[in-house]
Amino acid sequence: MIRLPASEKTLSSVKPGFKEIISHFRDEQVACRCISMGLLPGSVVEILHRAPFGGGCYVKSDRLHVAMRREEACSIVLV
Amino acid sequence: MAESESRPYRVALMGNPNGGKTSLFNYITGLQQKTGNFPGVTVDIMSAEIRLATGKRVSFVDFPGLYNLYPTSRDEKMVVQSLLHTSDPYHPDLICYVADVTCLEKHFLLLDQLRDLGIPLILLLTMMDVEQEGDLAVDTKRLETSLNLPVVAVNGRNGSGVEQLMEHISLFAALRPAAQPGAGGYTFSEDERRLVEELGQVFPDFSPYKRILLAHHAQWIPTISAGERIRLLGCIGEVGFRTLASQVREVTQRYRQFGELVNKAVRRRAGTGFTLSERVDGFLTNRIFGLMVFLAVLTLMFQALYTWAAWPMTLIEGGFAGLSGYLSESLPPGMLTRFLTEGLLAGLGGILVFIPQIALLFFLISILEEIGYMARAAFLFDRIMQFFGMNGRSMVALISGGACAIPAIMSTRTISSWKERLITIMVTPFISCSARIPVYTVLIGLVIPARTVGHYLNLQGLAFLGLYLLGIFAALFSALMLKWWVRSDEPSYLLLELPDYRFPVWRNVGLTVWEKVKTFTLEAGKIILVLSLIIWFLANHGPRERREAAAAEAARQTQVLGLDRQASEKVSRALQLEASYAGILGKTMEPVIRPLGFDWKIGIALLTSFAAREVFVATMATIYSLGQEDSERTLRQRLASERNEQTGRPRYDLPTGVSLLLFYVFAMQCMSTLAVVRRETRSWKWPLLQFAGMTVLAYLASFFSYQLLQ
Repeated sequence: MIRLPASEKTLSSVKPGFKEIISHFRDEQVACRCISMGLLPGSVVEILHRAPFGGGCYVKSDRLHVAMRREEACSIVLV
Repeated sequence: MAESESRPYRVALMGNPNGGKTSLFNYITGLQQKTGNFPGVTVDIMSAEIRLATGKRVSFVDFPGLYNLYPTSRDEKMVVQSLLHTSDPYHPDLICYVADVTCLEKHFLLLDQLRDLGIPLILLLTMMDVEQEGDLAVDTKRLETSLNLPVVAVNGRNGSGVEQLMEHISLFAALRPAAQPGAGGYTFSEDERRLVEELGQVFPDFSPYKRILLAHHAQWIPTISAGERIRLLGCIGEVGFRTLASQVREVTQRYRQFGELVNKAVRRRAGTGFTLSERVDGFLTNRIFGLMVFLAVLTLMFQALYTWAAWPMTLIEGGFAGLSGYLSESLPPGMLTRFLTEGLLAGLGGILVFIPQIALLFFLISILEEIGYMARAAFLFDRIMQFFGMNGRSMVALISGGACAIPAIMSTRTISSWKERLITIMVTPFISCSARIPVYTVLIGLVIPARTVGHYLNLQGLAFLGLYLLGIFAALFSALMLKWWVRSDEPSYLLLELPDYRFPVWRNVGLTVWEKVKTFTLEAGKIILVLSLIIWFLANHGPRERREAAAAEAARQTQVLGLDRQASEKVSRALQLEASYAGILGKTMEPVIRPLGFDWKIGIALLTSFAAREVFVATMATIYSLGQEDSERTLRQRLASERNEQTGRPRYDLPTGVSLLLFYVFAMQCMSTLAVVRRETRSWKWPLLQFAGMTVLAYLASFFSYQLLQ
């Protein structure tokens, strides 16, 4: 996985209840999957819950609900 | 065309997962469904043939759900393969594309790609009931004219719109309009245009977009020749085509295009606050409550399985015992009657008695699936499963493994990482499947007292739960070992859609239960019946000299001990069984299994169980009905009265019972599962390893438990 400049804010660091906008993706594989499910640059995203034991995030974007791992959330860069 | 006249018009139902596609398929086709296979691979595909009002034959195919034409799992790859080749047996003449109006943008991506493929399309909109609630307004006329497709609002729950859909389908089937390839909204990049031109010489019959798709899937697509692949890869290298970059470009471009259309055609009222699903998930996917709810659901499921299925099972058991008793009294005595009552009827009873439990288990599992709970379970357990080298989706396979390892192993195809999938396949058979239920039921009934602890909990039910937990523990432990042992560099993903909770469609639940019960009765039942007949034969025939010696011995004992007719017959039957082929086989293996507390009769049952576990009970029924003086007695009572020849204690006492239970928890005793593992892993290495590992574990567990408890 690519190391990122510390200034970039990713979805994994967002606290539940805060709405953010996707800027771009850091990993092409993740990008492809996210985009095909409807998570695009410009989409408003929000974390609703986190899974137990340091698990994944329950992400909401408009009417779409997606579960993703922490690593996947890490490669979604926010505006 | 002669070819198209002889075969039915093929209509494919396609769309994203969770879009209501399968509900619609179930509504249209009902019990006509047949499970088929994509050619060459074991990806299941449901299809059904229906006759339209015009008399035209139409074959509906329910394609696996997918998000786009860039597949990651095997099921999805098969769909793309079918779409690319007009000669594929599932290649559709017409696609009915099912899209959920509540998130149309997401569903339009695949639709747009399909329009570029050039297969005639009908757009079906589901979840239109949301529109009636006033949150959403869809301008279907605008969609129809902009996309140049018929648009029909359908509902797979109550069937509204299906009639209109059928009219459209018969129109398409009669007119067979040719769709224009490239009707979608994608314009190629400069590199892609060059690639399309280059590939024109290799694949002249393919439309430009299909050529691009071939380039994307050059690595795996199995339907092109080696020469074609080399030329394809050559062109890709020459042009410098990068598949991932091209995918991202294509998808974003399409979104931009139809995003505008969707914005014009769909008006939404902004959602206020949390939806019902989100509020429910606040509880169900909560770190603490979520796990508690999951455990409670599992406990409830198994308690239900044990208590609700009990009375129909007693009814079936009693019915067969009664029928067998009636027949043996009314028919003339002889080999044929005994074959009928002790071989055939006993075997049939042994199959049918498990139907209540299997039906109940699939009923509960498919309700959880229908509601949308299974996806939440995958989300909750992904991290834990990752610790064990698996994926959140493995949870679904492991739970289905509680019904049968075979469909469970087949369901792992949705896991795209090979390592995670392999581990799931390897450990799923440890989860106690429904075939173990009969063995557990009979043995727990024998060795665990039927008491209630703490007013509600049945002690036997708790023992049942304990065996299940033991299986789960073994699965997780071996997964951990495999995680260290199997090496892999490929990335793994979760990225799973969590659909809104909805009320289950009972038609879907019913069809699942019907399909599973049918498969069990026909597929497993066939093996069970044949094996119980073989065993009946083995137990009734033997080397002549041995049988004669046994007869002489019986006569001698009768005379010496002065036995009455009934007692003499019993002695004679027991001796005859010992002299039969089955007895010889069991006795040969007795030294190996004696340290586990098993005698030769259990030995026979173990041997036959390697064909399929559920045969254990049928075998026992056959073996013991031979030595039985009262045919109305059920197997359970018969086993309880069985004495150890050496100690005089009950044969099925606690140490033997526990040892046998442990053996069945751990051992790989299912030929069909091994065959499926071989098919899914494409090698003998994994099924053989699985077989050896599980058998050794079973032997050791039985050995230590028996030696300690004795």
